[in-house]
Amino acid sequence: MKKISVDHLARVEGSGGISVTIDGKVVTDVKFSIFEGPRLVERLTLGKTPEEDVNIVPRICAICSISHKYAAIRAMENALSVKVPSKVVQFRELMHLGEMIESHSLHLYYLALPDYVGFPNAIAMASEYELEVKIALEMKGFGNHIMKTASGRYIHGENPVIGGFGKFPSKEELIWIKNRAIQFMPFVLKTTELFCKLDYPDTPEDDTIYACCNPGQKKYGFAGDEIILSTGEIIEKEDYKNLTNEFLVSHSYAKRSRYKGEPYSVGSLARINNLGERLKGKAGKMYKKYFNHRWEKNPLFNNAAQAIEILYAFERIPKIIDKMLKLPDPPIVKYTKKEGKGTGIVEAPRGLLIHSYEVSDGFVSFTDIITPTAQNAEDIERYCCIAAQKLLNSGEEDKIRDRMELVVRAFDPCISCSAHMAEVKKAPEEDWKTKLDKIMKEGSPIFIGVGNRNRSDDGAGIELALELRKHGIKDILLESEINEREAPWKNRNYRPLVFLDAVDFREKPGKVTLVPIHYIFSNSALSHRLLPFISDEMNYERLKNSFVLGVQPKSIIEGKKISRPVRQALTRVLELIVN
Amino acid sequence: MEKDKNGKLKIGIYELTGCAGDALLILDCEKELVSIFKAANIQSFLMAKSDNIDGELDVALVEGSVTTEKEKEELLDIRKRAKVVVGIGTCACFGGIQAVFLDKKEWEKNFKKVYGDIKMKHVKPVQSKPINAYIEVDYYLPGCPIGKEQFLSTFNRIIRGNPPELYGFPVCVECKWNENDCLLNKDIPCLGPVTRAGCGSICINHNLPCVGCWGPVEDANLTSEFKLLREKGFDYDFIKKKMATFSGTGMADFLGKLEGEKK
Repeated sequence: MKKISVDHLARVEGSGGISVTIDGKVVTDVKFSIFEGPRLVERLTLGKTPEEDVNIVPRICAICSISHKYAAIRAMENALSVKVPSKVVQFRELMHLGEMIESHSLHLYYLALPDYVGFPNAIAMASEYELEVKIALEMKGFGNHIMKTASGRYIHGENPVIGGFGKFPSKEELIWIKNRAIQFMPFVLKTTELFCKLDYPDTPEDDTIYACCNPGQKKYGFAGDEIILSTGEIIEKEDYKNLTNEFLVSHSYAKRSRYKGEPYSVGSLARINNLGERLKGKAGKMYKKYFNHRWEKNPLFNNAAQAIEILYAFERIPKIIDKMLKLPDPPIVKYTKKEGKGTGIVEAPRGLLIHSYEVSDGFVSFTDIITPTAQNAEDIERYCCIAAQKLLNSGEEDKIRDRMELVVRAFDPCISCSAHMAEVKKAPEEDWKTKLDKIMKEGSPIFIGVGNRNRSDDGAGIELALELRKHGIKDILLESEINEREAPWKNRNYRPLVFLDAVDFREKPGKVTLVPIHYIFSNSALSHRLLPFISDEMNYERLKNSFVLGVQPKSIIEGKKISRPVRQALTRVLELIVN
Repeated sequence: MEKDKNGKLKIGIYELTGCAGDALLILDCEKELVSIFKAANIQSFLMAKSDNIDGELDVALVEGSVTTEKEKEELLDIRKRAKVVVGIGTCACFGGIQAVFLDKKEWEKNFKKVYGDIKMKHVKPVQSKPINAYIEVDYYLPGCPIGKEQFLSTFNRIIRGNPPELYGFPVCVECKWNENDCLLNKDIPCLGPVTRAGCGSICINHNLPCVGCWGPVEDANLTSEFKLLREKGFDYDFIKKKMATFSGTGMADFLGKLEGEKK
């Protein structure tokens, strides 16, 4: 057997939490923690047959069990060169749509909607929205019924196998499903309208990269052989590691992913953003009616995107069944190959799911599974940070906890972690001296003086930088000396950056404050002309390691000298850095 | 058991490490769900509601296996608060697929392969074990996931203060009721003879072999199953791995003895 060097577990659904740490006016830390214990799923598939692997891996997550099975089968069929007939392809799509309907309607009605109409759960919501809750249950039940028909039972059905299905449904059963899908249409349209029209708050909003399966030219869908990004880039499924670049963090048993150093998002919203233009029929009309630029940067619109996808699924089902009815039931395709490597990608309801295997001598020798919530974790933290900081700036600290829950829940991380999870922590307020001391101890920082010397206190940053240079401190830069190519934030060595600037915090003149740089970005009142352009250039890792040492100016008047309190402050900072 | 002022028993549904399939199965009882919430006072059910209370309980249903120190503490706390504890699902009953590394050293080796030397700051990991490794369990309701019929009947009996009644026979019996052809006769490795019934022999109904996901039935004749599969020409390690996939601690003694025999 081959030796395995990189392995990891792909289990994120279950118990998780999010916490934000606030230090005075600044959000200093956000952690999306997964408390779910380690299961080492990838390790326990090693040495199993490909069939046994397909039995085991759906147990990673009950809510996406069909998607896991589908991805695993696709990967194994690629590895073992198995080609399946058209009816199998159709039936697989049908079972997958069943899971989409079930999972999306569960998420929208049971989990998301209670937040927007002010109830602790869907059962309580039934007192006021009885019809909606009842029909939503019916709709979810219909998704379950399709899954049961296709896989054998609601959860972890074993009917889909490598090479086809153990058994196909009767014509009567298929016709029943088709008719039921058509009957549901009025309620489905209502659902789509309801969730597209919900009043989604604009906190948080920010650009991100979206990634999803490309189901083929001009098609919408939930499976494919390549990954498409909102940047327009295409990644072949075998090269998935170029997208995911996984790494570990010490507060989660699920690994994290970043694309070119940036967090990215997967899920319904990613699919609608990347492929929405391709939607036809009623789903296409809804997309045209409701899609706008806010959908491109606000994760809360994932709810609306899921509602459009439910509509897509209901429109698609009758078409698939018509095709299936014309085709005979094929036997399971046999294979003889005992070696091979293969990757399979599908869209789970909550986003891109990747399974990759190597089979040696008939047994699994390498397994790699990357789940959607693991890929979303970084963006979940980032959006929560933006939301928390904005609310803090507008004095609505009491709203932070609920808002973070709303954001996390919108990402639909498998459902058991989406209730009761947000926590707001207050850090002991640290003064700038302690913070600066820490930064200087952890890595030698580069100081960058920013400002305008002709405008009194606005020159504080430049003045301080020049003084530091006089005292023989290395790695001092002035704003004017930075030409784009050599910009220190483009360097990948990630030494901390400390910008020295006059910053208006509405404090007493001369007050020194040290804050993470994102605080300046999120608070437009403070933004300096250099900073917006930096924010575009810096990657996520860089942002986390950059700070602004700000001095409260007394006045910013053309032609005047630096005021007394600011000058005294500069002396204090200088002494600390030099000593 | 005492009922609350409305005459309802206080029930909590808890999830430890697993796929959350058993809690989801309860949510999948769409038609019965409102009745379930009406019939009992559901104090805690993280997957379904956000206003959960961790107080005294009449019955606690616990899903999943214990894989962190935090879960161990949670479980001990649940036991203190609940008069009756029911393990639901294969993970709670036998440790589930993640309990395949029963040997501590083997588990440590595999944990290191995945996570390297990183020190987890949030929760300390422990080797996956079923809940009876830490607390006394009153009843078991196995399944991967649990079956709807068996859950509803168990729930019904529990809220009336009666003990649940499990099927004390293997999948094979249900398979005969469903008049399926025996797959073992066709030399397909099927675990139906040793696996607990309740699923309705669902895999064999679909012409596929039983994978043993509900764990072993009481008094399963494991030796006979093993011999039979050996006679069919299956490899020693292959059979052992197949039997161990879902059974966790359930067949550990038997499989342990086999190891001795081989040596």
